[in-house]
Amino acid sequence: MMRFGIAAKLALLLLGFGFLSMGLVGTVAYTNSRTTVLESAQRELLTATQVLGRQFQTNMEIVSSDALMLSRLPSAPRVAQARLTQDHSADEAALVAAFEALMVVRPAYFQVRLISAAQHGLELVRVDRDGANLITVAAADMQEKSHNAYVFNTLALGAGQVYLSDISLNHEQGAHDGLDKPTLRVATPVTAADGSVLALVVINLDLNGLFERLKADLPSAYQVYLSNHWGDYLIHPNPAEAFGFDAGRRIFIQDAFKPVADLIKGTGGSAVTSVPPITQRSPGLVAAFVRLPYGAQRDEQRFVVLGLSQPMAQVVKQIEHLGWRTLQVMLAGGVGALLLAVLLARLVTQPLKRMTEAMQGFAEDQTVSLLNDNRQDEIGVLAASLNAMQNTLVSNLQELNASRDAIEQLAQHDPLTGLPNRALFQDRLVQAMTQAERDHGALALMFVDLDGFKPVNDLYGHQVGDELLNVVAQRLQDCVRRMDTVGRIGGDEFVVLLPLVSSVHDAVVVAEKICQSLHEAVNIEGHHVMISASVGVALYPDHAHDMKTLIHFADTAMYLAKKAGGSQMKVAVVANPDRAV
Amino acid sequence: MVAANTVEVSRYIDHKLVQPLNLARLPNVQQQLPRFKNAQNISGIHRLGEVFAVPYTYAEMGLIYDRKQFATPPDSIRVMWDPAWRGKVLAFDDSSHNFSLASLALGGEPFHIAPVRMPAVVQQLIALRRNVLTFYSLPEESVALFRQHQVALLFANYGQQQFKALREAGLDVGYAIPREGALAWLDCWAITAGARQPALAHAWINFMISADISRELTRRQGLDNTLDASANSLESDKLWWLEPVEDDTRRSALWTRILSGDRPEQFK
Repeated sequence: MMRFGIAAKLALLLLGFGFLSMGLVGTVAYTNSRTTVLESAQRELLTATQVLGRQFQTNMEIVSSDALMLSRLPSAPRVAQARLTQDHSADEAALVAAFEALMVVRPAYFQVRLISAAQHGLELVRVDRDGANLITVAAADMQEKSHNAYVFNTLALGAGQVYLSDISLNHEQGAHDGLDKPTLRVATPVTAADGSVLALVVINLDLNGLFERLKADLPSAYQVYLSNHWGDYLIHPNPAEAFGFDAGRRIFIQDAFKPVADLIKGTGGSAVTSVPPITQRSPGLVAAFVRLPYGAQRDEQRFVVLGLSQPMAQVVKQIEHLGWRTLQVMLAGGVGALLLAVLLARLVTQPLKRMTEAMQGFAEDQTVSLLNDNRQDEIGVLAASLNAMQNTLVSNLQELNASRDAIEQLAQHDPLTGLPNRALFQDRLVQAMTQAERDHGALALMFVDLDGFKPVNDLYGHQVGDELLNVVAQRLQDCVRRMDTVGRIGGDEFVVLLPLVSSVHDAVVVAEKICQSLHEAVNIEGHHVMISASVGVALYPDHAHDMKTLIHFADTAMYLAKKAGGSQMKVAVVANPDRAV
Repeated sequence: MVAANTVEVSRYIDHKLVQPLNLARLPNVQQQLPRFKNAQNISGIHRLGEVFAVPYTYAEMGLIYDRKQFATPPDSIRVMWDPAWRGKVLAFDDSSHNFSLASLALGGEPFHIAPVRMPAVVQQLIALRRNVLTFYSLPEESVALFRQHQVALLFANYGQQQFKALREAGLDVGYAIPREGALAWLDCWAITAGARQPALAHAWINFMISADISRELTRRQGLDNTLDASANSLESDKLWWLEPVEDDTRRSALWTRILSGDRPEQFK
């Protein structure tokens, strides 16, 4: 339980920390990346817009070159002058062929014309695109164009100069494919040798066709916006929004994309913006715009604003993908943190568990199980300390046991001879009597009193007396069996218990053996000491049934032996133990 | 309620979308200038003796001229055809108005050109096309063209507002109403045929042409009201309140061809 507690807490702590740090890092990474993704989408879009713009400008240059090339054809001025002087149908045919050849390779050209500077801007040569065909318009269908800006502005230019018109819907009747289509007119004067302007060459460029081709290289989700220098849409993903002014309705790009206002005012060259989703139908987009000057006019530089947009959903998808990847990494990290936490918890708690088990074993039976203290860390130190503690405890315990044994010895034995004292002897006597009673056996109790001990003590001193008592104790023990007990109950008084005797005779044999043994001289520290012993013998159950009586009979018998001169044994004489009391 | 110009109101009357007014409930009409007070003078708002709308504001389409190039203000609409100003005239790209103007220039009535007169009007418009610099559409376009091409004369389709815009652009221009008269917008209040509370609607109209509201309109919007004489035109100036023309579709079709540059012989 304790192990689980620490392990679980540790694991939870580690796991919590792991998840917290990962969550923080993940969130910060996601937020940063989200901004980065949005910014990079806008940057990408802006780059694409700039590239598209550059392509548009390049195309303008190509169209301008084409117009200049046509205006320099020798037949052009000749045709322009022909109407005034003589017929020049060969030159006309050459011009038509040139116009057609160009329109074959330039599919975005709606119309190529030669327009006179005189005759109210009468068309002199005109080739129209009509589906797959190129139509050379008959002279009877030619129109007067002097009131059009592309005519009167071009006529004001010098040789080699090119006019690029505003972009408008071409409502000039009979224009075939180009009718009512967004058109950009590129025109240049045709001059006589003297530099006077005779006519102009005009190329009508199919704006939508041009952008369809330019757009082909872009991702299909990109959408193109184009506005004139007032901000009126010329190209819009929803065609109904384009050329609103043509129907008396102004729809401005800067109203939908606020940052474009700077481009219209001329205070900025490019702008990026994102329009948040408003409704299900307008789900938000990222957009980039560039201000695109084109043509070198006499007046202020003409420009359009070109824009590309990308649905926000695509960017959001990238962001969501990013978020999902972040989450995946965080989840994987989380699992890793979990495993690590469990592993760490186990690493820490496993040694603790072993220590606990060791300590429990030690508590139960003091068995020392040494712990692995090879580790250099705190766990190793702890294990070493526990090992030391176990060893100390064990040695202390051993000392304690020894002391206890010694105390017990002291309490139940005679300190001088080491023989059981009166208390222990009585205890053994009681046990032996109980046993004998159970076995219907017999036991013998002897009182042994030394004769002439006091004079020895007085004469040679206590040290010799004590040594003598030790010798007596040894001799008494030598006289009895291992199962028998010798005790010392007084100064020179000893007792002997023979717990198992078959008859008085057995006891008498031992008693006489004692008398004889103690009668032998003892050499102590150079002194030749002579003593003897008086022995009283009493038997259970022969002489008494209880301990007190038995002791009394043995003591009395001993007393009788001493009275009879000592150095002899007497057996208690009593037939009936009850009467003997 | 509906507030619309005379062309629109006239159509509503024809389609019975508006109801006749009870002039007794509109006492403020009596305060209006004579040319507005008498509905019989304004053909677009009455039928068979009944009045269907009350005018509250108007704007005429005069001529704007360069005071440096004109010693005296132009006094006839025919000045737009004057070869002296060839390439220096700005006309407006609108079929209906241009036919009306051409008809006026020919001494006719602007809104109802009889078929027999039409070829002449078309030729007149081709002549106009050949005399103008161009036909503009947007007011800011007219300002740019006026400045860049030393334009002398401009037909002010946007009226006073256009005049102001040119003045603000730093051009020294004047404003004139030709003696043939000027086409003019006239906005009126009318009550829809299905209106459930005509009394309240009458009260609203009466309130909207009151002196306070009329002057507030002029103060806030710079539009002429129907009570006070205009600063831009004399009471004696002829103003042609716009009316539905004889055949809008035909005018439009012809105009597209004229603007495309079709020559006189192509209309024969």
